[in-house]
Amino acid sequence: MTLTDEELVTRSRGGDSDSFNQLVVRWERPIYALAYRVLGREEDARDVCQETFLRAFRALPGFKGQAKFSSWLYRIALNLCRDWIRRQRRAPVMQMPEDADPVEMVGEKGPAESIETLVARRELSAVVEKAMAKLPEEQRTAIILKEYHGLTFQEIADLQGCPLSTVKTRLYQGLIVVRRHLEEGGQLRPRLVKRA
Amino acid sequence: MTVRMQCLDEAALIGYVYDDDVQDATAVAAHVATCATCAEEVRALQSTRDELQTWTPPEAVLGFQFVSTQQAPPTVLRPARWWRQPLPAWAQVAAAVALFGAGAALGALRGSAVTPAGISTAVTSAPASGVAPVSAGDLAALEARLRAELAPRGAAPAPVIAASHDDAALMQQVRTLIGESERRQQQELTLRTAELVKDVDAQRRGDLARIERTFGQMEGTTGVRADQQQQLLNYLMRVSQRQPQ
Repeated sequence: MTLTDEELVTRSRGGDSDSFNQLVVRWERPIYALAYRVLGREEDARDVCQETFLRAFRALPGFKGQAKFSSWLYRIALNLCRDWIRRQRRAPVMQMPEDADPVEMVGEKGPAESIETLVARRELSAVVEKAMAKLPEEQRTAIILKEYHGLTFQEIADLQGCPLSTVKTRLYQGLIVVRRHLEEGGQLRPRLVKRA
Repeated sequence: MTVRMQCLDEAALIGYVYDDDVQDATAVAAHVATCATCAEEVRALQSTRDELQTWTPPEAVLGFQFVSTQQAPPTVLRPARWWRQPLPAWAQVAAAVALFGAGAALGALRGSAVTPAGISTAVTSAPASGVAPVSAGDLAALEARLRAELAPRGAAPAPVIAASHDDAALMQQVRTLIGESERRQQQELTLRTAELVKDVDAQRRGDLARIERTFGQMEGTTGVRADQQQQLLNYLMRVSQRQPQ
């Protein structure tokens, strides 16, 4: 029987560390992916991921279930990322590790892809990563939360502490900027859109 | 009645593209179907979203696990409390002498007629109203008498029995502690072994992936060279089969 996050949280608050470990197993990959996409460094993302769960564990007695557990985790992780960027005093630098294995990176796509397709996908991924790195932090975070974590506009607004309309504007403008960078990089055919 | 919509604003477009918080989805969809500008922008946004899906974070070995570090406070072996240890014979005698002396002094203070046998006549002839003086000689005589009385009883065996009893309990406690320590070490060893196996497995998978990639590259290179050689061979065949003119 698979327990819900809320049930596992209740058990964890009762002192059951195994339940909390189940939550860690369930959420460590999404939190790592979020931290990596925001920070752009594997090591930093791993550290932020670990610190997120440490803080969550310590703050668990104070978590009364006002929000979803995942939203609460995302908030902790995003705050940590923000602190990280501020502390490092440098813009996120997206890196593509030299030893990254394209087979593993696109493992869910199936083994039928040729090596050329994998390499092309890896190159495109790197271009997208660079394009995203050029966005302001708020726009990048909004796109990451929407595209890769499927949060609603309202959830993003709550996490970013801004109105719903601001989230939509950030998403729209972020997508436009990413598109422009991709076109400049030759990944997309330029489209001229004339607004009325 | 047909309602003509103006071109969509950013909020409506983004809501339509993400299918989230759309006020009037039917009207927006109808407008996009008829307005080329908005349709083009929706397609552009959608294709950008498609490109974004290619961005995948590198695989990482995570596997965080919370391990409770709260343990029972270690039991420290301490010597038994001094008041719980059996007193040696001389100490018992001294205590008895002191107690007896104090009792005699108190009795003399009250002017009672109780006089221990053997006390010198100086004590009994002391004035009833004053403090009866107890001399050092009196105490020495009393001590000698008590020693004589207590010596035959053999006070020594009792502490020996108690000591042997305490030793057995102590040994039992030490054995229990050693057993617990060994159990903890065994658990620690098992945990370390599991971590080591996990690390080795992760390393092995990484190595295998690298080897596969290298083989793939080698195969690609070899294939290109084989093609070139085949082309060269074909060319030579064609050249050799030409008829001399």
